[in-house]
Amino acid sequence: MGRAKWHRKTTHRPAKTIGRRGFLKVLAIAPLYAALGNVGIAHGETRQYGKLVDTERCIGCKRCMSACKRWNGLKVDRYELITDREIDLSANNWVVVNLRIDAKNRSRKTYEHWACQHCIRPACAGVCPVKAITKLPGGPVVINENKCIGCRYCFQACPFKVPRFDFERRVTRKCHMCYNRTPLLNYMKPACVAACPVGALRFDYKHSIIKEAERRVHRRGGSSYIMGLTEAGGTDMLTILPTIPQDLGFVVAPNKVVNQNLDKIRISATGIMAASVIAGAMYLYAEKTRDHDKEIHERED
Amino acid sequence: MNEKINKGLQYALAELEGSPRFYIWISALAAMALLAGYALLASIVLSMEILEFSIQIPWATMVSAYAWLVVAGSGLCIINGFGPVFGLHRYEMMTKRIAFLSVTSIIFGLNYILLHLGHPERAVIYSTISPNLRSAIAWMGALYNVYLVIVVVEFWLLVRSDLAQRAEQCEGLKRTIYSLLSLKKLDDSRLGRFLNESFIGRLLYDPRVERVLNDPRLPRFFGTLAFITGVAALTMLGSVFAHTESRALWYGSYYPVYFLISALFTGYALLLTVTIISYRFQGDVMHPQVRDLIIEMSQVLAFLLAVGFALTAYRIGTSLYDPFRQAPVMLLLTGPFSIGFWVFEVGFMSVIPAFIFVWASMKKNLGGVLLGSVMVLIGAFVMRYEFIVAGQVYPNIKEGLSTYLPTMMEVLIIIGVFGVFLMVYTLGEKFLPLKEGELPQGPQENSKVLFLSN
Repeated sequence: MGRAKWHRKTTHRPAKTIGRRGFLKVLAIAPLYAALGNVGIAHGETRQYGKLVDTERCIGCKRCMSACKRWNGLKVDRYELITDREIDLSANNWVVVNLRIDAKNRSRKTYEHWACQHCIRPACAGVCPVKAITKLPGGPVVINENKCIGCRYCFQACPFKVPRFDFERRVTRKCHMCYNRTPLLNYMKPACVAACPVGALRFDYKHSIIKEAERRVHRRGGSSYIMGLTEAGGTDMLTILPTIPQDLGFVVAPNKVVNQNLDKIRISATGIMAASVIAGAMYLYAEKTRDHDKEIHERED
Repeated sequence: MNEKINKGLQYALAELEGSPRFYIWISALAAMALLAGYALLASIVLSMEILEFSIQIPWATMVSAYAWLVVAGSGLCIINGFGPVFGLHRYEMMTKRIAFLSVTSIIFGLNYILLHLGHPERAVIYSTISPNLRSAIAWMGALYNVYLVIVVVEFWLLVRSDLAQRAEQCEGLKRTIYSLLSLKKLDDSRLGRFLNESFIGRLLYDPRVERVLNDPRLPRFFGTLAFITGVAALTMLGSVFAHTESRALWYGSYYPVYFLISALFTGYALLLTVTIISYRFQGDVMHPQVRDLIIEMSQVLAFLLAVGFALTAYRIGTSLYDPFRQAPVMLLLTGPFSIGFWVFEVGFMSVIPAFIFVWASMKKNLGGVLLGSVMVLIGAFVMRYEFIVAGQVYPNIKEGLSTYLPTMMEVLIIIGVFGVFLMVYTLGEKFLPLKEGELPQGPQENSKVLFLSN
């Protein structure tokens, strides 16, 4: 028995080589992985950063808006910073704060802090024809303004309707989570987070942001909703809302990755199939009416 | 020097004198182009904002015009497939006209989108050096570029011998231009000899044809390639809209299919309109075979309109029961776009012209065909506009806008670019051999010398 054990231990089996069968398995699985790889596991990365917005703490002072404008050199319209008038995102408003009223409980009012949600699988980056939009390893989704051609396809693809066209620079612009301000390891926060006087905004590693959001929701009795955990397949900006976003009039994205590659392939493949059907119909038409050519000749003769 | 200029001027005036209509037509088109130039300059000097009627609807008139013209051009590419790919000889009479019309309409259609871009110059650079293979726009741009190159080569191979003949008949500047265009010296050059002796030359060797470039199979080969790339490019154009999951009206497998069908009927309509008008404009008598073909085409067009209408009805019917798509479809049926939908898309683009075509083909009336084709083109433009604008209104603007009409500057640019397109086509009609010849002799036995027999 002991001898057998010893024998098993000393048998030489090279562990790191791959046999023919293993190679074929890898070959079969690789394309499947490449195709399905974009489904991804949301919030899986540990070195990713995220922004937490606690709308129940927000007092609507709009200091985040002015800090954003100051840091990024955006134009200021003085009325938009002092009124409760509804403000839309624009090339000069990368972050907006708007008052929202719960449709089911009109007495409940909430301030919405709205900006790019920094999707984990951004649809905008998937449709940009020149790869001007990238998801940086730390989390921010950033538009390279020196590369953007101004086609606005990102606006059409974004499930949150965020990227806006700048008519002066002729490029699309949006929040970039102050990636240029944040040498993230030095732990500097984005301008809006640093400016918030009541701690409604928070910037940290993604996993601790999620923990913090859950802790706050739990402390308030669990009736709040955390937006961004499942929307558009998960986003790097989480928002704690007193109720579901639909009631507050938020832009609601589907709870799945938007514009998946497989889906795009499926749609285009339908077109190609239809094209082959049309080519078949044309062939049939040509075959059926080929005699017509001859008839014309006979008539000519 | 002065004498030379005078001679040139006199020559040009003598050319134009014979046809005052031509002169008036070109001047009108030039005026349209000037207006577009003004609008473009204003958009550069002031702001690009004057080319948009709402920031919430970034794709509006220019993109609609682009889709309209480019899809019609791609439809011509599919129609051109009847000749080289499926071997219908009566369609080959019109190959040159179809190829030229397809190239010009796609080039000027692409101009609409270039003018709509914030930085067209970057589009040229970065779509070459860092294209995003996951983006439908990148595929569409690349495929249309490849398609254009292939069709230009096909067209050149088709008209080469005609150009050489014209060069011999003309004198002076015209002769130089024609011989340059036909590249007559290429045959005896090193490159020509190399082509003859190369792999392609040996593959295509045919004792009846002296040189590879004169081989009638070559334009057919390019025609087949053009058919494949054109259809692929058109599918990608449909996919640009169909991929966007955030736009309920656009998203799904339907639009790549509908773009193919609508390309066919708008392509036929454009071809019939241009052909009939150019014959009437020049006062030429149409060959009976061409006339028969046009009547046949109008019958096919009526059938295609019916197919398109059936597809639309299917889409609308299924969308009414789809909670995801119901709201944008109701915008078309009963909302602010209802006039455009019922009057233009259903009336102008589907029902009325179908009846007109049936009547015209029974009476063999070309005027009826022309009327129906123009109606289809107008209806198709409104259809594209509504599809693109309504697709963005539903999720973007909750309360709706008071009007969805384009701004004056947009209209000027659209008219201007279309004017330049017509101008280039008219010049092509005048100076290039586009006119339909007789049907090539004997569909079966003599097909090899098809393109040399002009």
